[in-house]
Amino acid sequence: MVTALVAAAACTACTAIGPRPWEKDLMARPEMQLVPYPLQTAADEHVYFSKEASSGGRGFAGGGCGCN
Amino acid sequence: MQLKRRKAGRVGRAISAISATLLIATAASCENSAVAQDFYGLDKAGRDNFGPGIAYTEFDGALLIYQEAGGRVQAIEPTANLAIHGARGQQLTLGAVADAVSGATPNGAVPSDRTQTFVTPLKPQGSSTTVTSASGGSTVIQLPPTPGQVASASLGRQYTTAPNTLPMDKGFRDHRAALTAGWSQPLGWISEIGGGAGFSREEDYQSITANVRAAKNFNSDNTTISLDLNGEFDSSFPFGGVPTGLSAMNAQFKPITTRHKTQLGFVLGLTEVMTRNWLMALNYSYDSQKGYQTDPYRVISVVDPTSGEPTSTLYENRPEQRKTQSLFWDNKLAFGPTVTELSYRYFTDNWGISSHTVEASERINLAKSWYIEPNVRFYHQNAANFYRAFLVSNAALPAYASSDTRLSRFDAITYGAKIGFRVSGRSELYVRADYYTQSGDGHPANAIGQLRGQDLFAGTKAAIVQVGYQWKFH
Repeated sequence: MVTALVAAAACTACTAIGPRPWEKDLMARPEMQLVPYPLQTAADEHVYFSKEASSGGRGFAGGGCGCN
Repeated sequence: MQLKRRKAGRVGRAISAISATLLIATAASCENSAVAQDFYGLDKAGRDNFGPGIAYTEFDGALLIYQEAGGRVQAIEPTANLAIHGARGQQLTLGAVADAVSGATPNGAVPSDRTQTFVTPLKPQGSSTTVTSASGGSTVIQLPPTPGQVASASLGRQYTTAPNTLPMDKGFRDHRAALTAGWSQPLGWISEIGGGAGFSREEDYQSITANVRAAKNFNSDNTTISLDLNGEFDSSFPFGGVPTGLSAMNAQFKPITTRHKTQLGFVLGLTEVMTRNWLMALNYSYDSQKGYQTDPYRVISVVDPTSGEPTSTLYENRPEQRKTQSLFWDNKLAFGPTVTELSYRYFTDNWGISSHTVEASERINLAKSWYIEPNVRFYHQNAANFYRAFLVSNAALPAYASSDTRLSRFDAITYGAKIGFRVSGRSELYVRADYYTQSGDGHPANAIGQLRGQDLFAGTKAAIVQVGYQWKFH
C-alpha cells in the first residue's frame, strides 16, 4: 500500500491524469471540498468513535476524549 | 488541498507576467491581499468569492443533539470553529467544543430472570469530581470496614435491575470541554506544512493531542500527497478509582486513581483530481495505542454453567496494546446540480476486529438557494477476540474479557437527510437528521440456561440532529 502511494507520487505519467487548470470550475465549488462541513464530519466521527470499535480513516483514529 | 490553489496554465502565466510588469511599474505595493481580491469578483451564482489568494475568515457553529432510544444516553454538543485564511495560503484554525452527556448506559452484565443488585462507589458529599451520583433508582449503602479502605468512602451506591431487563447504570453523567488550535502554510517547495494541538477535559478523563502535517501538490495541482503525524496522551481518572481487571465489582474506592494511554499514528494520503467531475482520495492510516484502554465502569457477568444465572460480577479487562490500520477511499462526483460522495473504509486491528464501512450521499442543489442531501451508511464489524457476552463460573478466567457490545460482532445502518439554505453569498444554514441502528446476535449459540431466553445484544438506536451555520467574511 505504502509502495503504491509512493509509486503514484513519483510517477511522471500522472501528469496525464486530471483536468487542465481551466477545467477546474466544478472542483472549485465549495461542496466539492473533501470536508466541506467540518463540524458535521466531526460530529459523525465523534458518534461513531463512541459507538463502534473502528475509528479514523479520513483522519486521525484518536478520539481526543474518553467517549468510548 | 489542491483545491485551494489555482495555478495558471502557459497562457495564464504569460498574461500574469505581463500584468505583473505593468503593476510593478505603477505601484510597488501591488503584492498584497487587497490587490489579489480585485481579481475575484462575484461568481456566476452570485456568491461572494472566498477562493485562493484572498484573505478571509470563516466561522462555523453547530449544535448537535444526540438521543438514544430506551432512555439511554443523551448528549448536547455545541461546537464552534474559526478559520482565518491568509492571502498566501496561511491558515489559522481555532475550535471549541462542549459536551453534556447524561442518561442510562448498559453496565455490561447479562439480563437475568431474577432481580440483580449492583454496587459501585458513592460520590462523597461536596465532591465536584464525579460522573456518577446517587440518582435514577439508586440507594446508599453502608460498606463493611475493609483494610486499607479510604476513610471518606464508608458508603456505597447500590442499584437494582428488574428481572428480564438489561442491567443499566442510570447514574451516568458527564461534561466535557475541548479546545483545538492549528496553523498551516506553504513553505518553499512544500505546498502545505503545519501543526496543531488539542486539549479535552471531562470529569473523569483528559486528552492532549498534537499533530503535524506536510503536503505536496503536483501535476497542475491535480495530485496531492500528504503525511500527517498524530500523537495523543490520555489520562483516565475514573470516579472511585481504577479497578483491577477481572476483580469483583464492589463499592470501595480503589487505591490507583489514574491510568494513562499514549497513542501515536500517521495518515498517508493521496488526493487526485481524476477528471473535471471526479475527485478521489485514498488514505492509509496506522495507529499504535499503549496503556489503559479498559472501561473502568464496565463489568462482565460470571454465570452458572447449568442455569445461566449470574453468580458474580467482575470488572472487565482489555489488553494494553492496540495497533490499528485502515484504508479509506473517498470519491466525490459533480454532475449538473448534484454532488455524489461515495466512500469505503476497511479497518483492522490486533484485537481481532475488522470492519467495513460504506457511505453514500447525494447533494442536490435546488432552485434558488436550497439544497437537500440524503445519505446512508452501512457498517459491519467482527468481534474482538476477548469479547465475551458472559463468563462461565466453572471455567478458568481468561486474561482479558469484555462484554462491551461495541467490541462484539454487529451491523449498523445510518440513514438521514440534510437540508441547507444559503442565507447570502457569505453564509449558510443547515439542518440534518440521522437515525442510527445497531443489530447483532442477541441469542448466541453458547447461551446457557436462562440466558437462552434473554436478549444478549445491548446495541444502540440513536437519533442525531445537528443545526449548523457557516459564515465567511473578509
